[in-house]
Amino acid sequence: MKTIIEPFRIKMVEPIKLTTRDEREQLIENAHFNPFLLAAEDVIIDLLTDSGTSAMSAEAWAAMMRGDESYAGARSWYRFRDTVKDIFGFEQVIPTHQGRAAEHILFGVMVQPGFIVPNNTHFDTTRANVEYSGGEALDLPCAEAGDIDSDYPFKGNMDIAALEKVVAEHGPEKIPLIMVTITNNSGGGQPVSMANIREISRVAKAAGIPFYIDACRFAENSQFIKRREPGFENTATIDIAREIFSYADGCTMSAKKDAFANIGGFLCTNDAELAHRERNILILTEGFPTYGGLAGRDLDAIAVGLCEILDENYLNYRLDSTRYVVDRLLKAGIPVVAPAGGHAVYLDAARFLPHIDALQYPGQALAIELYIEGGIRGVEIGTVMFGLDPHTGEEKPARLELLRLAIPRRVYTQSHMDYVLEAIGQVWERRNDVRGMRIVEAPKFLRHFTAKFERI
Amino acid sequence: MTTRNWAEPYKIKMVELIKMTSREDRLNAIQEAGYNTFLLRSEDVYIDLLTDSGVGAMSDRQWAGIMMGDEAYAGSRNFYRLRDTVEEYYSYKYTVPCHQGRGAENILSQILISPGDYVPGNMYFTTTRLHQELAGATFVDVIIDEAHDADSEHPFKGNVDFDKLDALVDEVGADKIPYVCIATCVNMAGGQPISMANLKQTRAWCDKHDIMLVHDMTRVAENAHFIQQREEGYLDKSIKEIVYEICSLTDAATMSSKKDAMVNIGGFLAMNDAKFYEKACGLVVVYEGLHTYGGMAGRDMEALAIGITESVQDEHIHARVGQVQYLGRRLREAGIPIVNPIGGHAVFLNATKMLPDIPQEHFPAQALSAALYVESGVRSMERGIVSAGRDKATGENRKPNLELVRLTIPRRVYTQAHMDVTVGAVEEVMERRDEIKGLRFSYEPEVLRFFQARFEQIDPKGDS
Repeated sequence: MKTIIEPFRIKMVEPIKLTTRDEREQLIENAHFNPFLLAAEDVIIDLLTDSGTSAMSAEAWAAMMRGDESYAGARSWYRFRDTVKDIFGFEQVIPTHQGRAAEHILFGVMVQPGFIVPNNTHFDTTRANVEYSGGEALDLPCAEAGDIDSDYPFKGNMDIAALEKVVAEHGPEKIPLIMVTITNNSGGGQPVSMANIREISRVAKAAGIPFYIDACRFAENSQFIKRREPGFENTATIDIAREIFSYADGCTMSAKKDAFANIGGFLCTNDAELAHRERNILILTEGFPTYGGLAGRDLDAIAVGLCEILDENYLNYRLDSTRYVVDRLLKAGIPVVAPAGGHAVYLDAARFLPHIDALQYPGQALAIELYIEGGIRGVEIGTVMFGLDPHTGEEKPARLELLRLAIPRRVYTQSHMDYVLEAIGQVWERRNDVRGMRIVEAPKFLRHFTAKFERI
Repeated sequence: MTTRNWAEPYKIKMVELIKMTSREDRLNAIQEAGYNTFLLRSEDVYIDLLTDSGVGAMSDRQWAGIMMGDEAYAGSRNFYRLRDTVEEYYSYKYTVPCHQGRGAENILSQILISPGDYVPGNMYFTTTRLHQELAGATFVDVIIDEAHDADSEHPFKGNVDFDKLDALVDEVGADKIPYVCIATCVNMAGGQPISMANLKQTRAWCDKHDIMLVHDMTRVAENAHFIQQREEGYLDKSIKEIVYEICSLTDAATMSSKKDAMVNIGGFLAMNDAKFYEKACGLVVVYEGLHTYGGMAGRDMEALAIGITESVQDEHIHARVGQVQYLGRRLREAGIPIVNPIGGHAVFLNATKMLPDIPQEHFPAQALSAALYVESGVRSMERGIVSAGRDKATGENRKPNLELVRLTIPRRVYTQAHMDVTVGAVEEVMERRDEIKGLRFSYEPEVLRFFQARFEQIDPKGDS
């Protein structure tokens, strides 16, 4: 069978408000040409992020109703902790209200000014948290990652030779941890191979540096390994996930991605002494260690979501339905990052709008046009997001100029995606008329969230 | 005060089963928990009076709101509803959601405080003071002396002492005081209110010195109830009107909505100043989440907006405070020493008087809290020397005048029968008080030690 069907049916719906093109012209102007500043109800198809926007299952909703809201030692906490330990295998589990809080605590404890944190590619909040602690966030993607057309199956990999060089140069004194993000979000949602994870672990162990995994999309990455890496064809996805984490000393997780939750995250480690220091910060900024700033019901929903996400039928549907959109774009000759990643489609704005200079933000311009065309909300991943060095104030073009269309889990149907494809096609037709953007006003850290733009 | 019955203005729609335990089970559980009630498993607790934070029962309307969550990352409609509700009920123009109250305190302290500053307040609160200290400030207690006297019957023990405020300005100068922090219904004083007259005077004092006035508003509705009942000229005003008047006397607020607003998670920072708001938006995205969700699920913002409207209903507050007063009066009638007058959210047992033979260094309130659990399965919280922690300069134990055990009543959760059981349990502990032993630390955390500390019993015949 070629048709991709969802391994679920719909139990609850949320009506969508439809807007006209004229209305959207006005709405995006009112939002200072920043999709983050749009009211969500003015969006028809919201592909801004796959974070916290997924549809929970009936089971997860039922678990929500069982939430134990006791301040200390709630039943929900023990259910959550045991599930996380079962899948991730780490001894210490620290709940947080979301992923960035886990990162904030981890880097706050481990990173000092002048330190370097290597990663295959840092995502926005990860980078901000490293820099906020005074460290340098160093991206070491493999060579294939920069080639948008390369068919390499694991474009999320880290460049091991570059990592070895950095480690040899700076050593454990300056490198508090090595991190790998699975899948590699800024690099197009591309997976990291088990072989690469083993290599990173080997380099880290030899140098005595802790190895951490940014685990947001661990299940999608595990399924890619099963589908693409020789030797894993017959391994259960959950066992692939367990093997991945067995090579690491800890992880950060945003449960808003591969746990289907609307809120929540956690931090894990095998180091009891480190966990002790982390919990001291947790109590101050998040909450008591058995709830970490989450309602009991959310701990329960995450526990259910973590089990559901590893269902292989779901993961095959997830990867195939994302690839469906990419294949259709490729067929139409529209520049897009290939091969398809797990959670999002990345339009190549640099080639889509070659007449717009990187410092005039082609990704941002494309985001605006797609909103006006179809009420579709995406996010620029390029110079707006990564171009400004917050310490020097210097702006330079990012490695890639992308427009990310992130697909929320179990929310939109194939008809929704066909509508998106149609809208992209229409912008493609009139691409030569699209103008660049300039920033009118922006903060120093994480400027893309609140910056105000105008058209040039 | 009205003598009208405080019967609940609601009926029960969903229940949560409670596990029953034996005395032997509880003895094992408290030993495993190192005599710290925070470290007990909730399923081993019969009546959980540890806190009123995040443990309230939501209404069917709030649950319906939970189903109306708009989980969009940016611009969720629940955010706009929350923002409008905050402005309508609390007067503040700008709202920055946070995952809970301490998230708001963190952002507030980082924006307003410079190292070397002083922050005066009507008594400390544990997490609030620590955030102020981490940002480089020193907390200065300016509450009236009566607040530190468990037996004083002063109707507004949360009031500010202006001699103390004046003395601080004389000593350090107004430039070193970024804001005055005023809590409504002061928790550490026993849930004691501040009067409207005193708050107005505080406003005038702040204006005179050009200092900002920040409101720790987690229990503002309960404070409004006491103003309505005790302060001249307010009996005919609604709780909603009084709450609004309190808020409009202040410039900004931190809110843990897990208390008065009856949600299980959430909070916010609110203010009237546009520049302050912009700075807060820049910081909230680093710690909490984008400024239109701040680490809260959309559904929880909706439940919060609805909870705010329910929290200011006169009938609700009448029953809420009525239940707490009922518990306090019954204990008093049974001859149990408690903090007077009875506060809005909790009854505080006076451990110094209940266990006069245990010196403060042996943590009488902690020991009492553990004993109450073993006796009855009622979980309470120490609010005495353990909670007060160590002085940041000298490293010595701070020795508060009040050595208390807090019996905190979750909103809309327990019945009158549960309160009666609690009274019986405290009476039994009182009868067996000679058997209670003092405690010492077996593990003492560096910060906010009361949360995770472990203790062991001191044998009175031994070396201590």
